[in-house]
Amino acid sequence: MSAKRITVLALVVAVVAVLAALPLFVKKDSTINLACLVLLYVALASSWNILGGYAGQTNLGHAAFFGLGTLVARFTWLGGWPLWAALLAGACVPVIFALIIGAPAFRLKGAYFAIGTLALAQVLYVTVANKWPLITSLPARYLATYRLMPRYYLFLAVAVFTVGVAYFLVKSRLGLGLMAVREEEDAAESLGVSGLRHKLLAFGVSAFLAGLAGGAFAFYHVGYYPQFPFSPAWTFDTMMAVYIGGTGTVVGPIIGAVFYVLVKELLALKVVEAHLIIFGILFILVVLFLPGGLLEAWSKIRSALGSRAKSRKAALPAG
Amino acid sequence: MAFLKVQGLTKSFGGLMAIRDVDLELQQGQILGLIGPNGSGKTTLLNLITGFLKPNAGTVHFMGENITGLPRFKVSQRGIARTFQLTKAFLDFTALENVMVGRVYGQQPAKNLAQAAEESLEILDRVDLLDKAHVKARNLTLMQRKRLELARALATKPRLLLLDEFMSGLNPGETEDAMQLIRQIRDSQVTLIVVEHIVKAIVGLSDRVVVLNMGEKIAEGTPVQVCEDPHVIECYLGKAVCLK
Ligand SMILES: Nc1ncnc2c1ncn2[C@@H]1O[C@H](COP(=O)(O)OP(=O)(O)OP(=O)(O)O)[C@@H](O)[C@H]1O
Ligand SMILES: [Mg+2]
Repeated sequence: MSAKRITVLALVVAVVAVLAALPLFVKKDSTINLACLVLLYVALASSWNILGGYAGQTNLGHAAFFGLGTLVARFTWLGGWPLWAALLAGACVPVIFALIIGAPAFRLKGAYFAIGTLALAQVLYVTVANKWPLITSLPARYLATYRLMPRYYLFLAVAVFTVGVAYFLVKSRLGLGLMAVREEEDAAESLGVSGLRHKLLAFGVSAFLAGLAGGAFAFYHVGYYPQFPFSPAWTFDTMMAVYIGGTGTVVGPIIGAVFYVLVKELLALKVVEAHLIIFGILFILVVLFLPGGLLEAWSKIRSALGSRAKSRKAALPAG
Repeated sequence: MAFLKVQGLTKSFGGLMAIRDVDLELQQGQILGLIGPNGSGKTTLLNLITGFLKPNAGTVHFMGENITGLPRFKVSQRGIARTFQLTKAFLDFTALENVMVGRVYGQQPAKNLAQAAEESLEILDRVDLLDKAHVKARNLTLMQRKRLELARALATKPRLLLLDEFMSGLNPGETEDAMQLIRQIRDSQVTLIVVEHIVKAIVGLSDRVVVLNMGEKIAEGTPVQVCEDPHVIECYLGKAVCLK
């Protein structure tokens, strides 16, 4: 193992350990709730990035897969299924939808995929609102035993699992094929890579992970309207987090999600009225001036500092 | 049995007959030269063989099997590789990563990415790009990108390799090197179809030559036979070229 890999591994272990120990020294529920939200967005952003960043297919309906996960997991769980089975069902059903919409949409080139996913999310949003117009609240016997800790750890597990899947996928043969398809599909196909199969695989994995995050949300939330997780805001928040952090990298969506959720909360507290406008402007600035997101900004700063340090070193012997 | 057998292949774009009723046979281990004026259908023929285009009529058999209309990635998996007239490198990949894609998805794929990288470096060395292994493809010159595409195609370990104007834009010295490289590839058990405008290169390399004009095959034979064919001279070569 190279020194760099050991450093990265140590960093990962340290971050996960700190997050796992968080509830030991943070007792305020509001802080734990905020941490849950951050972890949820880490999972959503990382799962979106598998398809959007690595396969280059812009999914404008990520909320549909997240929403399906909440819907299926909530109703099966409240219907008496064990939690793990409800979560699994919530992750699998979105995959079916992804394959059904992906197979035709990927065959057509151009904007069909983006439009198709957007349409799916809108149709589901309206359908769910009509079919389940009432709020879904936890029944009294669930409320009596409700504790925040297991919810927090579930979000943590889902986020770590999602990032882990993203990491191992993109470091594998399939990840190389996926990126080759994104870069130049004709050339990839000429080397034996099926564009359609790779995109479907990425879409399926992305939908599975979004559905899993939805299951965690269903387990977490005390009461919400069933259509709420299908709202387009989830898709756009997720995409903003990915673009702010940097697409097509494993770390980018994590940084983006942490930054996005924290800054948004901060603005919402400080400037209640204008926080959406301020955030919108911030987002436009990032996309316009840092197309690679915060990650690119960081590597630019680092190389600038590095070259200055180097030139100083080079100047020393002469001086 | 012919290694590659094309029968009655036809392709039209709207009203334009890009390929009309073309037959072709190729023996294993040979180099087939494919020439013809601009727009005569050479690239279209390669696209039809590799599954990038579906023919309106006709068949393509490779090693005895009908591969007509097969998806292009499956044609590649049968052992037919190609390069593109207008290069299509993975621009944000390094040269090494470009070649690795061929090495993990081609015939006898590498067991893991580390092994793929090792084998890909050897292939980059064959096309004299070893020193560019860690340079992004977008920072390579056009000629380097062409060699990169060749390396990438070779990385799939093809049985049949189709080169579309690999030598265009090279100076005479570079052309000589490229011809040497193509002969080496042939000697490593790869059969080739070579599309070129440089007649000297085609004559020097090919075992047989096929001439296309307006989508039709107008001549076929050894390089010498084709060069002496009056029809070919009239359509394409012009007297000066063949008198030498
Ligand atoms: N996808 C396409 N759609 C419409 N017409 C096409 C298409 N591809 C090729 N053609 C037309 O078919 C004819 C043959 O083109 P092709 O590219 O096969 O010629 P070529 O022999 O490779 O020419 P060149 O020497 O210039 O590369 C041309 O008239 C071209 O305009
Ligand atoms: Mg051509």
